[in-house]
Amino acid sequence: MSAQLGKWKEEQILVICPGSQTTMAQLGCGELTPPALRIPTRMFQDEETGEWRANHVEKRRRVTVNGDATKSDDEWEYIEDPDSTEGATYPIQAGRITNMEAFLAFLEHVHSLLTTTYHNTPIMLMASPQWTRPDVEAIARYVFERTRTPALCLIHSGIATQYGLKWPHMTVVDVGFQKVDVTCIYDSRVVNHMDVGASDALAVAEGEDISGGEVFTRKLLGLLEDKGFTYEMAEQLKKSSICEVLPYVPESPRLMELPEEAPVVPEANAGAGAGGAPDAQPREGGQAVAAGDDDEDAVDADKIVTEDGVLDVAKLVVEGQTKEFLAKKEKEKAEKAKAGRKGKDKEVEAAKPVRLPNSKRAKNVFHFEEVIQEEVPPQPAQPAAPAEPAKDAEKKEGGEITEGEKPAESGATNGDAPKEQSNGDEKPNPEPSTEPSEAPKPTTAPTQPALPTFRNKRVRKDIEIGLERFLFADRAEIDRISTAIYRAVQGIEDMYMRPSCWENLVFVGNGARIRGLKDNIIQTLAARHLISPSTATIFTSELPSNLATPTGTGSQTPTGSYVGGPPHQLGPSSSSGVNPLLQAATTASLGVPGGVVGGQPGTPGPTSNAGDVQGQTHHFHSQTPTNIKLAALPTYLSEWTKNGFEEAMFLGAQVAARLAFCVHNLDAQGVESQRLMSLSRVDYNELGPKGIRTHSMLG
Amino acid sequence: MAQQQPLPSSAQPTDVYGGDEVSALVLDPGYFSTRAGFAGEDVPKQVIPSFYGHVEGRDIFGDEVLIPRANFEVRNYMNRDSVVEDWDVAAKVWEHLLVKRLQPERPTPPSKNGLNDDGDGSGNSNNADGDGDVAMEESVEDMEKPLAENPVLVTEAPWNTAKSREKAVEVVMENWACPAFWMSRTPVLAAFAAGKATALVVDVGGANTSVTAVHDGMMLKRSVQKSHVGGLWLSGQIRSMFETNEPKVNVVPSFMVENKKPVEAGAPADYRPKKFDFEIAPSFRAFEEERVLTEFKESVVEVWRGQGKLAAPQNEEYARSQPGRVFEMPDGSNQMWREQRFKVSEGMWDETAAYPAPAGLDIPQVSKGQTIPALIKACLDGVDVDLRPNLLGNVVVTGSTSLLNGFNDRLNNELMMLYPGVRVKIHAAGLSTERRFGAWIGGSILASLGTFHQMWISRKEYEEHGPNIVEKRCK
Repeated sequence: MSAQLGKWKEEQILVICPGSQTTMAQLGCGELTPPALRIPTRMFQDEETGEWRANHVEKRRRVTVNGDATKSDDEWEYIEDPDSTEGATYPIQAGRITNMEAFLAFLEHVHSLLTTTYHNTPIMLMASPQWTRPDVEAIARYVFERTRTPALCLIHSGIATQYGLKWPHMTVVDVGFQKVDVTCIYDSRVVNHMDVGASDALAVAEGEDISGGEVFTRKLLGLLEDKGFTYEMAEQLKKSSICEVLPYVPESPRLMELPEEAPVVPEANAGAGAGGAPDAQPREGGQAVAAGDDDEDAVDADKIVTEDGVLDVAKLVVEGQTKEFLAKKEKEKAEKAKAGRKGKDKEVEAAKPVRLPNSKRAKNVFHFEEVIQEEVPPQPAQPAAPAEPAKDAEKKEGGEITEGEKPAESGATNGDAPKEQSNGDEKPNPEPSTEPSEAPKPTTAPTQPALPTFRNKRVRKDIEIGLERFLFADRAEIDRISTAIYRAVQGIEDMYMRPSCWENLVFVGNGARIRGLKDNIIQTLAARHLISPSTATIFTSELPSNLATPTGTGSQTPTGSYVGGPPHQLGPSSSSGVNPLLQAATTASLGVPGGVVGGQPGTPGPTSNAGDVQGQTHHFHSQTPTNIKLAALPTYLSEWTKNGFEEAMFLGAQVAARLAFCVHNLDAQGVESQRLMSLSRVDYNELGPKGIRTHSMLG
Repeated sequence: MAQQQPLPSSAQPTDVYGGDEVSALVLDPGYFSTRAGFAGEDVPKQVIPSFYGHVEGRDIFGDEVLIPRANFEVRNYMNRDSVVEDWDVAAKVWEHLLVKRLQPERPTPPSKNGLNDDGDGSGNSNNADGDGDVAMEESVEDMEKPLAENPVLVTEAPWNTAKSREKAVEVVMENWACPAFWMSRTPVLAAFAAGKATALVVDVGGANTSVTAVHDGMMLKRSVQKSHVGGLWLSGQIRSMFETNEPKVNVVPSFMVENKKPVEAGAPADYRPKKFDFEIAPSFRAFEEERVLTEFKESVVEVWRGQGKLAAPQNEEYARSQPGRVFEMPDGSNQMWREQRFKVSEGMWDETAAYPAPAGLDIPQVSKGQTIPALIKACLDGVDVDLRPNLLGNVVVTGSTSLLNGFNDRLNNELMMLYPGVRVKIHAAGLSTERRFGAWIGGSILASLGTFHQMWISRKEYEEHGPNIVEKRCK
């Protein structure tokens, strides 16, 4: 019944990418746009009926006009509060489905948000690598037996990312909320996978560490807690443009180069030096590196006094006399440099740190925004009012709490950035710690029957943040992620696959949006693991790729199979059920060795002298990695470039949905592989839930 | 009992028998790693080291958790004979694989799920957007029968003792309420994976090497030969080689390196060590060193594949003239390895060429009867003369140490020399996964065969006869 397939229209397809915090969903995959809908992945169980609802429902005593206490049950009213997370069940935790019932109810909810029809809405659902086979079968069973969905396609999140970015070989590092997944893909097949994070909820309780974006928020919170920061503030700060992971500096004791308190000084010196100022000292390379260790107060205290231009940031920050100190320094300098008037001018100019990038500034101002529900004194005509702002707030709150919600927001903050910076400098804020403590706590909805009318008010506060915004980059966590990447790639059984996976790293997941995190991980990996081409290697080692095996198709070079236009994967993967489309047409020409399950006669390399012995298809034994690179991201999808490719899996899911559901006019083999991409109702009736094992894109 | 019938080699595994669905699990414990997955799949879904972490009274499993920690020790629940040593932990490791990783997670009670005590104060800071309370239902019945629908097939070494088999069955049947089980010997399964019911299985694994004759799906007990000449022994040889090298090579595992700078070949390493404010247990370090040695084996070590032994004068000369390979240690020091990379594996074939066993490690020296050719000879001597040609025509090579470059060529040469005039055909899977997980794949095929469905030992039989039934049924 494969003729049944391919007859859906692009706008009928429901694409759902569930995450632990946020689920991305959209109806239609024609435009390849960023997700239309971002929904917090949570459900609420009704205490009485056990039913699942999308929003928290509060039972309140209805207050009659005369204020009488009520007696009968009719007097209770149910108020849906979309902002509340009270009693929420998060069906996915660290990628695992921990509550299938809630998850299925959630799917139903997502579906109902987007469309009302079932019979002509095939579903493309992204699956985390942690989903087990019984999970997947339970989902298939539900979808086909409880709804009238015509076809279901499950796609592995790593494969989905790959469809979005369309390199045939890549290592996908998915930095999620509480987990990090490393998936190595070769020829569109998952060849290795590792996940970092606590192995399950119980392990978290036992003290096993979570991983992912949440770790950084907690760390940031830990650093700023005594300044009165709340979790929400830390989360917002983490997402702001001033929070960033500094580049990896191999020699520095902290492995990053923290900005000095007054980078103005050395810079001005440099300028003055050029202008002929006599005493301007050249900037010393090691100073910046040495600065910034909180534990070295004693040592650095000397430095502050004795050495010109060398400042210990931590010391200054701790003592809070920055401004005075700087003023003094400036004055001294001015006096000394009176010979070179020109230099002085320059200095003054340079002293405006407006142009300095965030990473060079010891302090920066963070604009914290929160929505406060204000109680409004009772007003006569009020009934419509609460509903409207509430909806507004839902959108906004979603953005604040969830990993997924950033794009729009971060765009906004980025736009604001320059303005903020100048603001921050014009009105120095000497005591940053006092302000946040005054921050009004978000009031939770009161339960007493006190005429609850609320107004949502957006409050914006400026908080000056010191070096904490760099120090939150937890080395242990970065080490953990980079070790996982290293082990995952080096753990690929077939060595010839490793170089391609090293050369096409890609970071997805909204945890990877933290500024500088990807670069830092790459730099860490390179500094730690890169095999340098030593003099000996250059002349004697094997060729650095599997050139010994004749391919001649360019399939080994990622660029070779990279063509513009609709993304596609060309990969012979006869072992897994996932046969990407068009495989048929390409398998014949792609003599990719080993991509096919054994039994293929070995191609003996030049050094093999036993032709009768099967096996040894490859003679790739070079050490890896000799090259660690981020995969290039496509540039022709401007909306995605704006959105950032951290959500590339959603793009890929759309692309895959098109291929699985919408492509017509395929040859016989193409039709067959298309049929194996998704489970149709016809196939389900024949095979049952286990059909999803073979009829899916689970890698 | 001819319970394991010859397999048609190309039979596509099917997991349906009489309309009933069988989602059997296959568990293949080995010294270095333990493999588990669903029958009918082509690779095990879960492969974790048999080494596990022990920290503060807790045991933690999986490669991901083996990172430097305070008070952290690395242990192994298997012994070097590839037989379970610590049954308490074995049950935990297996549960981790079969239940935690392969089955859906069961809701944990909110008091224990860790979401309510995340330590960042969000729980009590009146912060509605942090992790909220999670109301979850306890489902006690589910907890009791996690594998009520999955028969389990466990592999075992050919020399596994009756006691240990019974124990394994007990663990499987008592802990997770499995409906049925089976135990099968690794060589038989490796032969199945290669599509053969009769084969001479040469399994060069992590801790030992075994040579076993399998006839019609039955292991011939008298033919079983084993020695410790496997991956671990080879690591010992590499260590000895490093030790005698000039300058001495120091194995610094990568977890101790923060970053490194390129240095000239043979020059001392220039790296920044990572500092830990706790002590690193020797067992953890040894485990991590093994990773480095594995990489060395993958990219440098090669088996001499020319005519005759490496020790023959002209061969040694020739090996020296071969292009060397450079290996860079995690600390950045690197060196060219020329004839040594052949020499280090020569002990597998020629006990006189082996390096002395490294000091301080419990790795014995290879003796005369323990080389691979000697094992094969002893194995074939133990079987009927009439069977030998058939076996030699179906030599199945499996085990990850057999992935050494040139291994098959050498094995072929040795067999030709040992048995001139007999047709020798070596079957070694081309894909490294198939070689590494040979026994698991065989188990996966076997357990998913429709004809195997009637072979399972059911819970009822187990309850009737006790664990002893495994001795009677799984011959």
